[in-house]
Amino acid sequence: MTDNSLPATKMSARDVHVYYGATHAIKGVSIDVDQENVTAFIGPSGCGKSTFLRTLNRMNDTIPIARVEGDITLDGENIYSPAMDVVQLRARVGMVFQKPNPFPKSIYENVAYGPRIHGLAPVKSDMDRVVEQSLRRAGLWEEVKDRLHDSGTALSGGQQQRLCIARAIAVDPEVILMDEPCSALDPIATAKIEELIHELRGRYAIVIVTHNMQQAARVSQRTAFFHLGHLVEYGVTSDIFTNPRQERTKDYITGRYG
Amino acid sequence: MSSTLVPEVPVTNGREPAERAPTDWKTHAMQSRIRKRYAAERRFRLLGLGAVALSAAFLVFLLGTMLINGAGGFVRTEIALPLDFPALSLDVEREQLAQRGADLALAGAGLQNAVGVAAVSAFGDEGEDYLADNAWLTVREAIKDDPSILDRRVTIAVPASSRIHLAATDDAEPAIEAAAARLNAAGALTRGFNWSFLTGSDSTDPTSAGIWGALKGSLLTMAVTLALAFPIGVLSAIYLEEYAPKNRWTDLIEVSINNLAAVPSIIFGLLGLAVFLGTFNMPRSAPIVGGLTLALMIMPVIVIAGRNAIKAVPPSIRDAALGVGASRVQVVFHHVLPLALPGILTGTIIGMARALGETAPLLMIGMRAFIGSAPEDLASPATVLPVQIFLWSDQVSSGFVEKTSAAIIVLLVFLLAMNALAIYLRNRFETRW
Ligand SMILES: Nc1ncnc2c1ncn2[C@@H]1O[C@H](COP(=O)(O)OP(=O)(O)O)[C@@H](O)[C@H]1O
Ligand SMILES: [Mg+2]
Repeated sequence: MTDNSLPATKMSARDVHVYYGATHAIKGVSIDVDQENVTAFIGPSGCGKSTFLRTLNRMNDTIPIARVEGDITLDGENIYSPAMDVVQLRARVGMVFQKPNPFPKSIYENVAYGPRIHGLAPVKSDMDRVVEQSLRRAGLWEEVKDRLHDSGTALSGGQQQRLCIARAIAVDPEVILMDEPCSALDPIATAKIEELIHELRGRYAIVIVTHNMQQAARVSQRTAFFHLGHLVEYGVTSDIFTNPRQERTKDYITGRYG
Repeated sequence: MSSTLVPEVPVTNGREPAERAPTDWKTHAMQSRIRKRYAAERRFRLLGLGAVALSAAFLVFLLGTMLINGAGGFVRTEIALPLDFPALSLDVEREQLAQRGADLALAGAGLQNAVGVAAVSAFGDEGEDYLADNAWLTVREAIKDDPSILDRRVTIAVPASSRIHLAATDDAEPAIEAAAARLNAAGALTRGFNWSFLTGSDSTDPTSAGIWGALKGSLLTMAVTLALAFPIGVLSAIYLEEYAPKNRWTDLIEVSINNLAAVPSIIFGLLGLAVFLGTFNMPRSAPIVGGLTLALMIMPVIVIAGRNAIKAVPPSIRDAALGVGASRVQVVFHHVLPLALPGILTGTIIGMARALGETAPLLMIGMRAFIGSAPEDLASPATVLPVQIFLWSDQVSSGFVEKTSAAIIVLLVFLLAMNALAIYLRNRFETRW
C-alpha cells in the first residue's frame, strides 16, 4: 500500500440519527473511521460525542429510550442488521469508559473474564499467556506481575484505567472505543495512557473522545468536531487545528466557547 | 440583637458596601455559640445512649424472664421407684420379651397397673399421683433392656409427676409440698436434664411434653418456604430490575408487591385456607401447606430486598461487562448477582425470621391441632414452634408454664442461629472494593 492511497476504512457511519425519547441527540452524522489511525472526537460537552461513540458498539441498546437510525458498518457489515450478534460485536469493538471500572475481582480475573466467556483461551496456560500479553500491551505488566491475584480495585486510578484497556485488549478486538479515558486521571497517568494509545495504534483502530484539544492534537491523526449533534468538520488532525475550514470549529479551537 | 457575628457595617455610599470588618473569633457571641454546639452534641450523644440502654434493658428483661421461667422446662425430677417384680406377678412369657411384640405383651400383662400398685406400696395411697402418667413406659424400657429384673427387686428412676416436679423446684400446694419434702428426705428424688423435652412431641402431660415435634414441623415448613420464596423472589427481582420494560404494567406490579409486603399475615392464612385447602384439597395442618402460605407472605419481602440490592450495584460494572461482550444473562449472573447477594440474603433471612415467628396464618390452615408425634414428611400433620407456644400458654395445667418458656427459648435460639447465619453469609459474600 502506498502512502497516498486512502487508508482502509474500518467502520463507517451514514446519516446516523440518535434520539433519546424526544431529544434529538445526533443529527445525521456520516463518518469513516480508518484502521491505521487514531480518530479523536472533540466538541463541547453535551454535543453528542459519547452518544455517537456508543452507537459504534451498540452500547446504546441498553438505554431503553434511545433510538438509532441510519447505517453503521464494521468491515462493510451493517452492525444494526438482525444478522449481527451484539455480543460478538462488542467483543470485536471494545470499549474503555470515562471512569475506570474494573470488576471487583482480582487483576487476573479482570483480564481473563472476556476471553473466558468467549472461549478464547480454554486451557489455563493459554489464559495465562493471554493475560500476560494483554497486560504487557497495556503497559501494566511490570507493575502488577507479582500481585495478579490482588483486587483490581486496589490499583491507582491510572493503573485501573490501564487494567480496563488490558481487559478490552484481551478479547482481541478490532476497534477500541475510548470515552474520555483520562478525564478522571492526573497528568502523569494521562501521559502514560496517551503513550499507550501511540503504541496500540495500527494494531487496533482507535476512536477516542476527549474534551481536551491538546490531547486530541497529541494522540490522534484524524479529528472530528461535533457541535449540537452535528458533525461539523472531520479531517486530518493537524489541518483541523491549524487550518479549520468551518467557522464553528475555529471558534471552538480558539476557545471562543467550550 | 447583639449576637450577630459580623458587626453591622454601614453602607458608606449608595453604590458599594464598605469593606467587611475582619471576623473576630473571640467575641462573646462566638464563645457562646461554641458552648451551645458542644451542649447539643452532648445532648444528642446522651439521648442516643439512653435509647440504646433502654432497648438493651428491655431485651435483658425479656430474655432474663424467659431463661428463669424456662430453665425448669429443660430439667425433670425423677423418683426412685422400688419394684418387687416377683410380688407383682406379671404374666409375661420371657420369650415374648425378645420379640417385636414385647411392648404389647407388657401392656397386656398390666404393667401400667403394676407400676401404680408399686407406687402405692412404696409411697402410700397418694403414691400413684407422684409418678408421671408415662412413668410405666420407663419401666417397660428397663424390662426390655434386661428381662432378668423380672425375677428380682429393683429400683428404677421414673419421671415424677408434674406436681411433684413443681413442688420440688417451686412453690405448690402444701399437701404436695409435704409429700415432695418426704420423698426428698428419703433420697428418692433426683433431677436431671430432660432429654425427652428435646426429643418428644406434644402431650397432655406436661412432664412428657416435648418440643421436637414442633421444632421439626418448623424446620420442614421453613424448608418449603425457603425453597419456594427464595428462587421465585430472586428471579422476580432480577426480571423486574434487569429485563422488564418500565411502563404502566410494571409500575402496577411494583405497587402491588409493595402493598403485598404490608398485608397482615392472617390474610395470607385465609388465602392459604381458601386456595390450598379449599381448591387444591391439600392436607390440613401439613408443613407443605404452611410453607406455601408463608412463602406467599415473605416473597414480596425478598423481591423488594432483592430489587434494592440489585439497584445498588453500580451501573459502571454492567457497562464494563457488556463492553467486553458479556450477554445480559452473563452480566446478571457473573457480576450483578454476586454483588447483590449479601443484600438479597439479608432480606431473605429477615423474611424467614418473620415466617418462623408467624402464628396467625398457620392457625388458619389448621396447624393448631394437638399433634402427639413429630411429622414424618411434608404432608403429615404438624405444628410449629410459635403455634406450640401459643397452645401451651393456653393450658390450665401449671406444668405447661415452664414448658412455654422453654419452648420460647428454643424458638429464640433458632432465631439467633438464623441471624448468625445471615451475618456469616453477609461477610462471606461481601465484596471488598
Ligand atoms: N441516557 C440518556 N438519556 C437521555 N438523554 C441523554 C442520555 N445520554 C445523553 N443524553 C443527552 O444527549 C445529548 C448528548 O449527550 P452526550 O453524548 O453524553 O454528550 P457528550 O459526551 O458530548 O458530552 C445531551 O443533550 C444529553 O443530555
Ligand atoms: Mg461524554
